[in-house]
Amino acid sequence: MKTIALAILMAATMRATTGAAEAGPELVQMPNAGSPFVTFRIWIKAGSASDPAGKEGLAYLTAGLIGEGSTRANAYEMILKKMFPMAASYSVQVDREMTVLRGTVHKDHLQGYYTLLKEALLAPAFQEDDFTRLKTDQANFLATTLRYSSDEELGKALLHSVAFAGTSYAHPQQGLVHSVKTLTLDDVRAFYAKHYTRSNIVIGIAGGFGENLVTQIRKDMEALPAGSPVAATLPPAMPAKKGLHVYIVEKETRSTAISFGHPIGLTRANDDFYPMMIANSWLGEHRNSSAHLYQVMREARGLNYGDYSYIEWFPMGGRYSFPPPNAARHRQMFEVWIRPVVNDNRHFALRQASREISLLVQNGMTKDAFELSRDFVPNYSLNYAPTESYRLGLKLDDLFYGLPQSHLDRIRERVKNATLEQVNAAIRKYIDPANLDIVIITQESAPLKKALLENASSPIKYDSPTPQAILDEDKIIQDFKLPIPAENVEIIPVEKVFE
Amino acid sequence: MRTSALVLPFLILSCLAAHGGVFPYKYREEVLPNGLRCILVPLDNPGLVAYLTVVRTGSRDEIEPGHTGFAHFFEHMMFRGTEKYPADVFNRIHVEIGSDDNAFTSDDLTCYYLTFSKQFLEKVIDTESDRFMHLKYAVPEFQKEAKAILGEYNKNYANPFFQLEEKFLDTAYDKHTYKHTTMGFIKDIEDMPNQYEYSLQFFDRFYRPGNCVVVVVGDFDPDAVMPLLKKYYGDWKPGTYTAAYPEEPEQTAERTCHVDYEGQTLPLLWVGYKGPAFDPAGKDFAALTVLGKLNFGETSRIYQDLVLKEQKVDFIDGSISNHRDPYPFSVLTRLKDKKDLDAVKSRIEATLEAAKTTPPDEKELAELKSNLKYGFLMGLESTKSTAMNLIEIIQLTGSLMPIETYYKTIDSIAPADIQAAAQKYFVAAHRTVGTLSSGAK
Repeated sequence: MKTIALAILMAATMRATTGAAEAGPELVQMPNAGSPFVTFRIWIKAGSASDPAGKEGLAYLTAGLIGEGSTRANAYEMILKKMFPMAASYSVQVDREMTVLRGTVHKDHLQGYYTLLKEALLAPAFQEDDFTRLKTDQANFLATTLRYSSDEELGKALLHSVAFAGTSYAHPQQGLVHSVKTLTLDDVRAFYAKHYTRSNIVIGIAGGFGENLVTQIRKDMEALPAGSPVAATLPPAMPAKKGLHVYIVEKETRSTAISFGHPIGLTRANDDFYPMMIANSWLGEHRNSSAHLYQVMREARGLNYGDYSYIEWFPMGGRYSFPPPNAARHRQMFEVWIRPVVNDNRHFALRQASREISLLVQNGMTKDAFELSRDFVPNYSLNYAPTESYRLGLKLDDLFYGLPQSHLDRIRERVKNATLEQVNAAIRKYIDPANLDIVIITQESAPLKKALLENASSPIKYDSPTPQAILDEDKIIQDFKLPIPAENVEIIPVEKVFE
Repeated sequence: MRTSALVLPFLILSCLAAHGGVFPYKYREEVLPNGLRCILVPLDNPGLVAYLTVVRTGSRDEIEPGHTGFAHFFEHMMFRGTEKYPADVFNRIHVEIGSDDNAFTSDDLTCYYLTFSKQFLEKVIDTESDRFMHLKYAVPEFQKEAKAILGEYNKNYANPFFQLEEKFLDTAYDKHTYKHTTMGFIKDIEDMPNQYEYSLQFFDRFYRPGNCVVVVVGDFDPDAVMPLLKKYYGDWKPGTYTAAYPEEPEQTAERTCHVDYEGQTLPLLWVGYKGPAFDPAGKDFAALTVLGKLNFGETSRIYQDLVLKEQKVDFIDGSISNHRDPYPFSVLTRLKDKKDLDAVKSRIEATLEAAKTTPPDEKELAELKSNLKYGFLMGLESTKSTAMNLIEIIQLTGSLMPIETYYKTIDSIAPADIQAAAQKYFVAAHRTVGTLSSGAK
């Protein structure tokens, strides 16, 4: 379904221009004279996949010192004081392959803000006290927050770690508990010198800025060293299949969080991506109550708070309704997120979600489901770009993936023109229910392991009237076979995760 | 205070231009004869419309024992359909529209929102008005949804902040419903499947036009939309319920509480003093808002000392939260080492004591006022964020108009007002101190 708003949005994104001046880094501009804001996204083409072996967490700590550290012009507390009347700030976001330094300011304060932002990028002080503070915070995050404060976030992080084990994608961007402890200021300086160069930086600006800002940026960025492009070593496009592999994290918990999936060998740059968007949206659109998994697991059975699926990395899914830009990756996963279920239903929930995936691969989408989803996705994608900062971020992601036209344009054209046959062929090609890494965060893991290996029946009980059709289907689900070899089940104490 | 339906004998029509005001857009506010207030904010942002229904009912209204968490639970039930649009049809319409729609509940409100392409506006008015007037669900759906609520509680439970909040509020309050979190007490959540009849009563009491505000923001013509709102909501019947909120007795001695967290966590410390309710014209609330930012914000002495220099805590915040009834002024921090707990607590108390006698720097006060003004403007970046940023003032006061009063009050705050508020509220007998740290295991 074509919408006026989408058309206008496309016009806005098409106005963007990119170009590298001879001396400076690439500059992406999305001017909008009527906007009272100016937004910046400075993309550094390096993330945690560029961490040297044994120095996991270095990209994150380096970025942290730029986003939350002193510069050679100002101590960090002075930076905070200067930005305070503007109600503005800048921050960094680090993913596997991308780091962005970003912020938005009201036009009234553009000059003062830009000066601070420029100094953060070009003249970080890398001071000892900032370093100690941020390194301690980073280690604490891994050892406490990530392990204990959200079972589902822990599950998702571990899933990516095991699915890309042995590669540059395996560790969280914050690193590992032991590796963060070894990081030094010299490591940070070396990482900065190697990656924060004209060859590896793209400057994005959007909103109500004028030509003088562009001139100023071009001149200022001459201070960056030329450097040379540095590409991270990526995981293989498709790692070897390994059947069903279960990782149970033993932890005191009220309920069980489950995530499963496999590397998908598909990104926005592939022709099959947009047909797969239709399938995935129907199966498990993020935090959308209309999607199939949500309907059959939460709505029909009251199993949990929600159940979703993904064909692209979606950071901080508990917080955001729509994908935040600039977490683009060349290696992606097909992933299912089952929000915590009561422990008695953990085996059933895993079986039900796995069976739904198998059914989708076996039967494909129905014509009705396909048509509904095909019309839904372009309208829904309007919400992907609510602000100039998001639109600018999406534009940088287009550059990351090397898209000849914008992702939102492609959604409109390719989703709209996709056929049911293309979608069902893509489902069979890209989803493999027999090749899943399954991460389960739970307590009493030994009985679960036993039940999984024995394929023990796992009936679900309701204390409310339930339609006969659901009860009949439950009988099939409760004995749905998950062929898991004994050697493929690992129990991991929570204090060992990301150690 | 009451939230009963308010039936006005005539229409109030106000077209406001925001000359010199903090809210930069023209808007229109109108009350239908049945008491439903409609606020229309047309924006230049092309294509999109955000549509909100603010129900001025939250966990504060759960005044009967055994029913905590019900306002939030009811939010979930609102997606279960009507005779005209049963749940599957309602869902399908939302899929066809491709809307971003959801809802949330807090202590004082329940808010339902959608963002969608403008050509669907009448359809949205139709389906939204229909569910608010004619919601219908049977026992089995009700009971299934109760299980989803338990799932939500369980997913939140691992978070140490959630556990501390639950304990802190239970300790700080004796009678008032702020004693429980919006999620509710776990024993009440577990009993929810048995409360079908109560749920019908809940809908009958609170989902009434006088207790709701419809807010439309974005690309639309108010002259075309107002008649549609009248057409679709006109038959909604006013309610008669009046809540008797339990009055919180004055606290007479300091209280403490502690949570032994099962996992590993950095210790948390929450120091709270009973504070005032939100009042757009009241100096106390505005003065404490200013005081919190000046004394505990990122530019404050304590932040610079404890977070940046000594690095004893990884964040600190001090603020008074907007509530319809009195709520604590709270300082919350996370320590890096349990051994510093007493020292950090003393520093917080010393900072609050100093605020009673030491006037703030005039320059810092002026910068803070700039921060608050630009902070508000920065929140108006998109159609959806503009709509979302209006919810607070609307739920607190029932109208958008007091936003100007509030910022004028903020602007009027002088150093003496801040000292007076500190002296009035930072009283040891009104203090509650909550801590959380990893348990003995």
